[in-house]
Amino acid sequence: MAATVSREPGREERRSYPLVETRGLTKRYGSRITAVRELDLTVERGEVYGFLGPNGAGKTTTLRMLLGLIRPTSGEARVLDEEPGSPAGLEKIGALVESPAFYPYLSGRDNLRVMARYSGAPRSRIAEVLDQVELSGRAKDKFKKYSLGMKQRLGVAAALLKDPELLILDEPTNGLDPKGMADMRGLIRRLGKGDRTVLLSSHLLGEVEQICDRIGVINKGSLVAEGSIAELRGRQGLLVRAEPVEEAARIAERLTGVEEVEVSDGALRLATDPDRAPEINAKLVSAGLRVSELHPAEQSLEELFLELTGGETV
Amino acid sequence: MFASFRAELLKIRKRPATWVLALVWCVLLMMLGYVFTYSFAANPPDPPENQPAAVQQQEEALNEQLLDGLLPENLLENLFANGTFSLGAAIVLILGAMAAGSEYGWGTLKTSLTQRPGRFGLLAGKALALGVFIVLFVLLGLAAGALSSYGVALLQDAAVEWPPLEELARAAGVGILTFGAWGFLGFALAMLFRGTALAIGLGLAWALAVENTIALLPIDSDWWKGFRRLTLGENTSSVGSIFGDPNPAFGIPEPLVEPERAAITLGLYVAVFAAISLFLLLRRDVT
Repeated sequence: MAATVSREPGREERRSYPLVETRGLTKRYGSRITAVRELDLTVERGEVYGFLGPNGAGKTTTLRMLLGLIRPTSGEARVLDEEPGSPAGLEKIGALVESPAFYPYLSGRDNLRVMARYSGAPRSRIAEVLDQVELSGRAKDKFKKYSLGMKQRLGVAAALLKDPELLILDEPTNGLDPKGMADMRGLIRRLGKGDRTVLLSSHLLGEVEQICDRIGVINKGSLVAEGSIAELRGRQGLLVRAEPVEEAARIAERLTGVEEVEVSDGALRLATDPDRAPEINAKLVSAGLRVSELHPAEQSLEELFLELTGGETV
Repeated sequence: MFASFRAELLKIRKRPATWVLALVWCVLLMMLGYVFTYSFAANPPDPPENQPAAVQQQEEALNEQLLDGLLPENLLENLFANGTFSLGAAIVLILGAMAAGSEYGWGTLKTSLTQRPGRFGLLAGKALALGVFIVLFVLLGLAAGALSSYGVALLQDAAVEWPPLEELARAAGVGILTFGAWGFLGFALAMLFRGTALAIGLGLAWALAVENTIALLPIDSDWWKGFRRLTLGENTSSVGSIFGDPNPAFGIPEPLVEPERAAITLGLYVAVFAAISLFLLLRRDVT
């Protein structure tokens, strides 16, 4: 899993480790609750990784373990080749975990001043990140007067102070109105460009689909799938609407290259290469069937998610 | 650690509650330490008609003694030996609890820790910043006391003679040890209960109810005295006796602990409370 990294023109640095790697990561609370179970997760440099799962699946617990906020019961985690929570690792990580938490009596700017002092980031970064999240105009207002969207943006600004290599965002669009969500998605897309790696936890399937290069799906503390969305959708197929449908199904089952035929809602779903559509259409028509619809059938991310999580709602 | 210290200083300095506490402390000290005593001693109630002359003379002498005790030359005796300064224990306990506990209430501990300081660095920075404000509260108390005693001298038309600088420095040291122990008690309680409410509630209950009850219980045994010698309240009042005996008019019981030993005990309390806080922060998950 070697990755070539070029942060400055003319200078290349070879890193032989994924940015985030966990092996058998487990967190138990007492003897009955296992929040995260034997989690093997890999996030490569430069990608926007979506961490998807229903509420209570273990997403936030995992992220907290990666940041050293909570300790795993067993297993290992390396973040930027450092122990989670070590100052050397955190120097290159920006994070927004759950809801943005700041000092209510301080202004947005002063909150960032506090955070910059903790992180050792230069003071000049404060104005830069405020600009980046479009909060400069309200920087003097107290945090307690901010709307939820502004609070989320301040959280992202604090995460960006160190100009991090890895950005960990936990449900950054939670509670935002549609415009706020669209703005935040646009911001994350911008932040994910270039070398920066983004680990985005979300329960919003559309968001993950629009932003992420790869996703990991967690359910009941275990990673149930990991890969690109296209990979996870896996089986390609065709959707065919023909009359009579029973006869169409019988013909389709006999065709070579059709692995599976499923009838639902008066249509056929064929597990086959979509490029075979003309051939299948010809067979059905020559058998005297009326074909009214034939197109590639993609499994939606929602269907995929429900399949992977056993129907758990997000 | 220095970076965390600077961050913590900014947070405490900009927090309005810090300055409200400072104001309350100064007003409390001036009112209970000077204004009430002066009002009573300078304007005593008329004696009953049949009061014997000897009793009347005794009361007049007592009032004279009270007024003398408020003058600048007796500043440290009034502030420390008479227990006026220990009124601030409850205030710095709240200050300490706020410095540590509010982070849990606002959820800002996770925000701060993910910025890089490390748990040890964060706590060390917090403790140092609290220390700075404890020193500030001690100096404010001394200044408020000095101002009040100067006012009494003007009202009484008395000479203004201040204690020597060396004694003032020693008073600052005693104040820092006293406030340090109580401030870090609040700090450790807030870390233990992960919040301010229970820490302040229990801390004040201990300071105001339990400690006083322990001091007043008429148990005359060695083991009880041994236990009392370890309590925060007893050491607080004992360390103050380094500046003289309490004014008999206040009816303060004789201290049980030598002032030097009390100073060491208070210093140990600071170290123990800081160590407990560090242990709790290092060991626990931040949820």
